[in-house]
Amino acid sequence: MPELLKPTFRRAVVAVNGSPTDERVVRLVSELARPAKAEVVAVHVVEIDWTMPLDADIAERSEEAQRVLDTAEAVAEQHNYRLEGVLLQARDVGAALVDEAAERQADVLVLGLPYRTRFGGEFAIGRAIPYCFKNAPCTVWVVRDAIPEEPR
Amino acid sequence: MNRSDREPSGGSPGSLPGRKLADRRVRVKRPHAPYFRYTGPGQMVATKAASAPTTPGGRLVARLKATAIGRPLANEQEILERLPKVKALPIFSSDAISSSAYATDEILKVLILAGAAALTWSIGVALAIALMLTIVAFSYRQVCRAYPSGGGAYVVARENLGPRFGLVAAAALMVDYVMTVAVSTASAIANLATAFPVIGDVRIELGALTVILVTAANLRGLRESGNIFALPTYLFVGTALLAVGVGLVDVFTGQAHHLAQPPYAIPPESQTLTIFLLLRAFAGGSVALTGVEAIANGVPAFKPPEARNAANTLIIMAVILGTLFIGLTFVGAQYGVRATLDQGPTVLGQVGGAVFGNGILFVTLQVSAALILFLACNTSFNAFPRLAAILARDGYMPRQFAFRGDRLAFSWGIVVLAAVAVAMLVAFGADTHALIPLYSVGVFICFTLSQTGMVLHWRKERGPGWLWRSAVNGFGAVLTAVVFLIVASEKFREGAWMVLVFIPVLFAMMWFVGRQYTAATRQLELRPGQVVPHPHREERVVIPVSAVNRAVGQAINVARTISDDIRCVFISDDPEETERFRDEWQEHVPDVPLVVVESPYRALVAPLLAYLEVLDRGWPDDREKPVTFVVIPEYVARSWWERILYNQSSRRLRTALLGRPHTVVVNVPYRRDEPGIFESIAGGGRGGGS
Repeated sequence: MPELLKPTFRRAVVAVNGSPTDERVVRLVSELARPAKAEVVAVHVVEIDWTMPLDADIAERSEEAQRVLDTAEAVAEQHNYRLEGVLLQARDVGAALVDEAAERQADVLVLGLPYRTRFGGEFAIGRAIPYCFKNAPCTVWVVRDAIPEEPR
Repeated sequence: MNRSDREPSGGSPGSLPGRKLADRRVRVKRPHAPYFRYTGPGQMVATKAASAPTTPGGRLVARLKATAIGRPLANEQEILERLPKVKALPIFSSDAISSSAYATDEILKVLILAGAAALTWSIGVALAIALMLTIVAFSYRQVCRAYPSGGGAYVVARENLGPRFGLVAAAALMVDYVMTVAVSTASAIANLATAFPVIGDVRIELGALTVILVTAANLRGLRESGNIFALPTYLFVGTALLAVGVGLVDVFTGQAHHLAQPPYAIPPESQTLTIFLLLRAFAGGSVALTGVEAIANGVPAFKPPEARNAANTLIIMAVILGTLFIGLTFVGAQYGVRATLDQGPTVLGQVGGAVFGNGILFVTLQVSAALILFLACNTSFNAFPRLAAILARDGYMPRQFAFRGDRLAFSWGIVVLAAVAVAMLVAFGADTHALIPLYSVGVFICFTLSQTGMVLHWRKERGPGWLWRSAVNGFGAVLTAVVFLIVASEKFREGAWMVLVFIPVLFAMMWFVGRQYTAATRQLELRPGQVVPHPHREERVVIPVSAVNRAVGQAINVARTISDDIRCVFISDDPEETERFRDEWQEHVPDVPLVVVESPYRALVAPLLAYLEVLDRGWPDDREKPVTFVVIPEYVARSWWERILYNQSSRRLRTALLGRPHTVVVNVPYRRDEPGIFESIAGGGRGGGS
């Protein structure tokens, strides 16, 4: 990417959810953040349904939830970058991401959108991305990335 | 983590509100994050922070270590430490290639015994050695491919001839690696001393310093040591090849004329040129082969594909070595160079002077030759630790040798090699003449064993061309065995006998270690399908006490979690003190039985051991012996001087109880800066968890 076209930011919030897209997104943001020494925060939101209290002991006990952020941190470190991992419990992922980005005064909120190459680029955009587009107080990047296809 | 670790939720005042009324969120703390990373279900990887020292002293040592040898590398960086061929060549070949600088001298020193005319035989002898080099290199190339986990002659002999022969090869190699370090360092210092005689007075100190510097470079890891050692090796190879090339042009254009006799030339003698003399010259020149096996030992150090890269590097090394050796011998013969005493110029120096004159190229050749001789020991620093690591993994050396240090180098092997080499330098006064008879003896044993092993390998495999491969290796085995016999008998009285003693001693030590590990493994192993049963034995606790204090209180509470059968033992040599102690005990811990043992001979540990023995004897014979937990209260020292003041008796007691049957020793530390713990468990008014 030519130097002039490189987007610059001071603080980025990256949403990670354990999908194959996470690695690409974290790598991309780490590479972009490094020259400007920008701050990168990886956020993983565990959605808590209304049958449980919001502070139910779910995410902390879930190795899977912890691993999502641990993997993001490891990927960033492989690219000589250190990011902060934040684990949230919330009723709605999109709202939690937007609120976290707002609280941290992030310049950019980055989300991954995996798609399948085999079926004409089929993807499920879900609720979080449209919510962020509509409500985020900052720039929103969506990285549409191919899911590695399983062998037939 | 408990609830108190997370932010309050819902509508509570400390919750994290969102931009909309219902959008609340809870931020979950991640206490493991700085120290561990989850990589799979129930699986974590420790981060650098988890491995960092926690005490000020430890942090200081770590900082000093990082300054001296670099920051610690993670296992995953091992692949980045692997060597490309261009770096592996100088690291593993400096020993072999450097021998081309003096191998021709060794031939000429023998041939001159039959007069100056016999020197023309040097080319024939060099060709025969080159043939042996080809066979050995070919054999080790196959070893690299057949045994990509490294180990060279040891693994070949172990797999094909049995573990005993494997250990003989390993012992021979290890002795030779130590000697390579000692001899190359001593000879480099001797070379320097000819230019700067003042060095002669401190040659032992300088030799030790050199070994320490090479050790430090190797402890920094493969890649960095490769960077350090690459330049001198390539400089030598470049200038020596240029000397041979220019010399050949001179020879074929008729410009090569016999040189004047150099100073300190060894005078010709009038022995008859017999086959035995030629064999001696052959054995002398065979020092060129030392170090050839190093690459086969270190195959895993290469970048993938490891085996192919190692095999190709081995061939490149053999070609360079063969070219330099034959080239220098041939050109030297055309110029009529002569072997000299130690004070005189070497064959390389005479050839360099003849083809380059006294210009910059000649100086470069001499300096690079001195440097590569200096660094020849580096090959040992790479091969020895790898061999030791393989032996440790096989259970023939202490397991520490298989552990990688901060920079992924096999630090134990490196340090032990350096220590033994320095000891040799000190013991022999860093005197090259005293050390050299011990050099290049063991390597021919391992050549012979590896060639013989390869013969059996081909016979077992029966792949295409196995017959001629077997024949080549068989021929090589006979040839290297003959060289070994000649070298050993030639140098026997001068000191080679020591090597022939060291090798069996080392063999016996490794065999002993192997037997110990095997026996221990057999005793510790669980049979297939065996499930560890629940305990049926009873437990009792004995707490030796010396005072009624918080440390003892804490030990008693820990003991209560183990068993209800608790007794405290107070050993006293003063009856008055005993009475006071009893009163105090009744006041503070009335529900725990106290046994007072008066010790008129003032012994402390022995009466307690005797008491435990009496307890065991008093146990009914028809019941299984109970497990006795000896709970020792300890005061945690906060500084080094407190360590001297406290816990001396506990340490003695712990040592005495080590290995006692049916006994478990439990240390219960009491920290002075955590009084709350005692208050709570001792039933104080504060409450709270421990």
